[in-house]
Amino acid sequence: MRGKHSLFYHILIFIIAQLVWLLLLGIWIYWYVSNYIIFEKVGDQVSPQLVYDVQNALPFILGLILLIGLSFITSLIFRHLNVQLRLNKLYDNFIGNVTHELKSPLSSIQLYLETLKQRDVPAEKRKEFIEMMVKDANRLQSLINTILEISAHEKKKLLHDFRVYKADVIVKELINEACEKFRVVKENYEVTGNASCEIVASKDALKVVFDNLVDNAVKYSTETAKIRIILNCNSKKVSILFGDLGIGINVKEQKKIFNKFYRIYNKEIPNVKGTGLGLFRVREILKAHNGKITVFSEGEEKGTTFKIELPSYTSIGKRRLKKVLKTDSTK
Amino acid sequence: MAEEFIGNRILLVEDEETLAVGLEYNLVEEGYIVKWAKNGREAVDFFKQEKFDLIILDIMLPYINGFEVAEIVREKNPQIPILMLTAKTESGDKVKGLEKGADDYLTKPFHLQELLLRVKGMLKRKSWYKSASEKQPVYKFGNNEVNFETLKCLHGREEIRLTPQEAMLLKYLVEREGEIVARKDLIEHVWHLNPEIETRTVDIFIARLRRYFEVDSSIPVYFKSIRGAGYTFSGK
Repeated sequence: MRGKHSLFYHILIFIIAQLVWLLLLGIWIYWYVSNYIIFEKVGDQVSPQLVYDVQNALPFILGLILLIGLSFITSLIFRHLNVQLRLNKLYDNFIGNVTHELKSPLSSIQLYLETLKQRDVPAEKRKEFIEMMVKDANRLQSLINTILEISAHEKKKLLHDFRVYKADVIVKELINEACEKFRVVKENYEVTGNASCEIVASKDALKVVFDNLVDNAVKYSTETAKIRIILNCNSKKVSILFGDLGIGINVKEQKKIFNKFYRIYNKEIPNVKGTGLGLFRVREILKAHNGKITVFSEGEEKGTTFKIELPSYTSIGKRRLKKVLKTDSTK
Repeated sequence: MAEEFIGNRILLVEDEETLAVGLEYNLVEEGYIVKWAKNGREAVDFFKQEKFDLIILDIMLPYINGFEVAEIVREKNPQIPILMLTAKTESGDKVKGLEKGADDYLTKPFHLQELLLRVKGMLKRKSWYKSASEKQPVYKFGNNEVNFETLKCLHGREEIRLTPQEAMLLKYLVEREGEIVARKDLIEHVWHLNPEIETRTVDIFIARLRRYFEVDSSIPVYFKSIRGAGYTFSGK
């Protein structure tokens, strides 16, 4: 409600400001023209020597430029303000989501601890409860890491542990790990294609990428998630197509999903949890790898395919190689 | 103490598996029969298929959120007590929950004992209310008629259904007709000293009763505010 109101007031103020500039502009022109006419009429009679000087038009033109400039600047400020307001709204949503994501595992851990303290829990149940607590603690840790890393990404201060890997080996390994983590059984995912070339990558960072993609595929599938990965490579780059048969993304939102804090709100989406940082982090990681990620989806209910491109080892310039692998050796 | 409630059926609506498993274990240990719904859609299905004595309802749920579930439940059954769980701390959420028909709420993270006491309290209030309303099921004031058993009310010709909490508040006020009842007393007796209930909650519920029964809720005749003291009910 508050957001809606403030936007309304901003638009109102903007319109009023523009009207004021226009009015001033009108008054300015009117004043100048009427003065000019009087000057022409009276000037001739009073002193025929007085001739209209071109230089006299200068204040008029300067005034026009000033007023038009001010109106233009107001528009610019208004545009920036709007962007800021939108960002604030996203940020508020983010805080709400993070609060939820932090409190849920925390309340679960607290519940188990109190249960263990107050009740005589049988050994088997005790073990199950401890496993649940570990799961929640991991969830908290990964969320906290994500939040902390985001600011490092933005300041470009995150040092990745770059090494040379065989593309298909590392991708398959990370996909297998991610699928196991998010309970996608072997029958529901397959990795095909061939990418025997090498890439320079940080394994930990790529793990985040594939964990996020698999997690999203699971979250945004109404039925059991089915994932298909196709690998490909040439002398310049390695491409990884990551497709799911989930609910898809409409074209309008495809551009926005990599934005920080952006989340799709749709009634049909089965899972509403998340921070809106996942795909932003994925994109930042791939940028740090000199790679990129794009998304295609024919629309809602038609599945989603992400395309990841990473430069292959042979295409990377010597200078960059030296730089990124040096980071590694200093570690 | 809870023996009278052993075997009471609780619908637990929570999508966080770890939390749900822990809650289910504790509620079963207390002697309740628990059915766990993983999302809003499942909750509505279970609610339509089976009978429950109480609902524990999370707000952020897949498919249908807690507020919507509460609305659907209230349409079918105005009597069943609903305890809302929320991870959000904004009071806006609490107010919205209460307006949608929840009777009580608990903010995550919560203490186990507190949750169990709340559940017991709600079931106890439900049974107190049941026995109290059996004595005098129908009460009339002005052009209003309240049936404390069915929670159906008539305001002129308009039919209204109260939530259990609204009915309990009304019952408490009616029993003390003409007396000034402090907000503190209402919190203590109607909400059973729930520390999270703020005086604002009492005001929200009074506003709801006014909306139902007053001819013009901005000029209340039956539910009057006494500045600095509380409320008073007059049936004449």
